[in-house]
Amino acid sequence: MAGDLGGISELDQKKYDADEQVKIICLGDSAVGKSKLMERFLMDQYRPQQLSTYALTLYKHTATVGSKTVTVDFWDTAGQERFQSMHPSYYHKAHACIMVFDVQRKITYKNLSNWYKELREYRPEIPCCVVANKIDADLKVTQRSFNFGKKQGLPFYFVSAADGTNVVKMFREMIKRAVDYKQNPSDFMDEVLQELENFDLEKKEDNSGEEDELKVES
Amino acid sequence: MQMPFEAKRCGVQFSPPSIVIIYEHKETKKVRKRVIPVRNFSKYSDCNMAAERLKNHPRHRDYLEAVTQSQLEKLHIILKDHMQGFSLVHSLASFHLDPDEDLNKLSDEELARKKGQMDKLFEKNRRHTADPNFVYDLEVDFTKPTTDRCSWDDESDDGF
Repeated sequence: MAGDLGGISELDQKKYDADEQVKIICLGDSAVGKSKLMERFLMDQYRPQQLSTYALTLYKHTATVGSKTVTVDFWDTAGQERFQSMHPSYYHKAHACIMVFDVQRKITYKNLSNWYKELREYRPEIPCCVVANKIDADLKVTQRSFNFGKKQGLPFYFVSAADGTNVVKMFREMIKRAVDYKQNPSDFMDEVLQELENFDLEKKEDNSGEEDELKVES
Repeated sequence: MQMPFEAKRCGVQFSPPSIVIIYEHKETKKVRKRVIPVRNFSKYSDCNMAAERLKNHPRHRDYLEAVTQSQLEKLHIILKDHMQGFSLVHSLASFHLDPDEDLNKLSDEELARKKGQMDKLFEKNRRHTADPNFVYDLEVDFTKPTTDRCSWDDESDDGF
């Protein structure tokens, strides 16, 4: 386990504390088109970094938000979704989340609730959106309303990674929201939770009996 | 930069195991066939890696620009299936998409078969940067005053 943790810290998640760095994660079932969306947004400038040990692909992007230049790391799963659950480090320090489903496959829509539940366990407050991909397959789906996320007030996008519909708009808005979230000092929920987790951890260490090693992450 | 070659169709040849590309030479407009023998590939090989290797092969990559890696992977799967004694009918059936199937439960290779199939539609509908009407930040407003309720929401509303 120590090796595992050492490995994850190689990804150097501390950098996400810096002002000009944001981390945006993608969630959703296998083959909903998460990577295709990334590639459509980044076009030729994408240089994904494959971390196959962690079933993870990182895409780096530089964006301008207002007058600021920010570096965005997009985290994309590379098969890790197969386990119906992501490693906690995937969520760690994320500033926004893009949840994707395939309009041709109902099961990927139904599974959103599981992904969302897991996301909120780790990141209760970060901005999140719901993305309906592959609308090019059947434009009629855009006349329907998909109610998942409405209650939570999550923005919803009809997109197509193939023809590009609304892909750039969605990414730009999510980058903006990630940056806003990071800059909003009134939103201290995550820090509070962090403190609580540390507190839990200290208590557990004192007991030194059972260990919950996943918590060491935070 | 525009590639001098544009792949039109691709396929396989079982003996000797090869990937076949029908491509157009953009300048001369001539259509030609290129047979790429598949080397160091057996019934135990990793199709994904083999596809990646071919896609980036210095001598072949210019011809494969328009062929996605997953298409190449699919062709390798067909070759591998053949080496294992499976029929072409079997291989093609394994690519069939069932919209109700939970793809999270598939192995890498089974998933690759499905993704290869999905890529067909993707490539068909894909708008390339080279297209004259390509718009990078294409926006379409789908908000309508009245929308049908999605039948996917109708049944048990657990968690929705």
